[in-house]
Amino acid sequence: MESNGDRLFRLPFKLPNSATARSIGVYISGGLYAVGAWLFLDAVIYSKKANASSVHVTFVDWIPFLCSTLGMIIVNSIEKNRLIQDALASGSFSGSSSMAWQARLVLFLGFALLAGGLSGSIVVLIIKFLIKDFTTYPTLGMGVNNVVGNFCVVLSCVILWIAQNVEDEYSYSLTL
Amino acid sequence: MALKVSPLTKIISLSGFLALGFLLVILSCALFHNYYPLFDILIFLLAPIPNSLFSKHNAESHDFMNESSNNVQDVGHFFTGMLVTSGLALPTVFYHCQLINHYSCIMSTTGGVIIYLSIVVFSWFFNTGWEDDEDGLFGY
Repeated sequence: MESNGDRLFRLPFKLPNSATARSIGVYISGGLYAVGAWLFLDAVIYSKKANASSVHVTFVDWIPFLCSTLGMIIVNSIEKNRLIQDALASGSFSGSSSMAWQARLVLFLGFALLAGGLSGSIVVLIIKFLIKDFTTYPTLGMGVNNVVGNFCVVLSCVILWIAQNVEDEYSYSLTL
Repeated sequence: MALKVSPLTKIISLSGFLALGFLLVILSCALFHNYYPLFDILIFLLAPIPNSLFSKHNAESHDFMNESSNNVQDVGHFFTGMLVTSGLALPTVFYHCQLINHYSCIMSTTGGVIIYLSIVVFSWFFNTGWEDDEDGLFGY
């Protein structure tokens, strides 16, 4: 069943559809999550062991990372096929079941937590480091590590979503 | 002429390789009297476990249209990828926080990767090679 007239993108953009592409995507997503987590833990350990300045990593810095992780768990725990099939079948928002509404709500909550984690880490960087004039590199590295780590967690979640939508040849076309 | 290596040679060389990996990590700790890189061995030993726990060999099914086993296998792939990258990142984080020096970092990373590769190659041989010629193990 080919998707000639009803493609999602205007340019011919096809994701690879094989099982190995899917598993490579999941491996990369796991690796990116670990990179994000270890960047953040690097900031924490540096603050405890090798810190030469007066600013330290406290519980406030942990909050954005915990929000991002929780958001990623929530987003990837939902059975997304239910949402997609419901959208294809009913065609309008009023005719869908309550299960679809619950799935949409939980998905929104998960994405809100992810975005909140990323923006929270940027806020922590600005308020805790930049405003108080800690702008030289090893000290600023603690704040920047937090931001880049949260960004890697968001990327990991996106790649995991895309990788799990890679279908094999005998199934339907890709809908995001 | 195909290169035919007997399974006994494979086992011996793989275990020698594994011992080399352990030697590198333990040397990286003992030479500098700093025992933090030992956590790296722990992570790389834990890393193949999610993959083997959630793999398709454990859940055999005769129809090819089921999606649920794909999701279960994805969990194993995700955690294995996470643990392998953690094992590579841990010595780097310790080096950046000035807990170990750079020789120790390089040696423990290399040793850990050797340990993981030897476990993976062993499980690959075990899954594909021995099912073909089971009699080749003891008569060569």
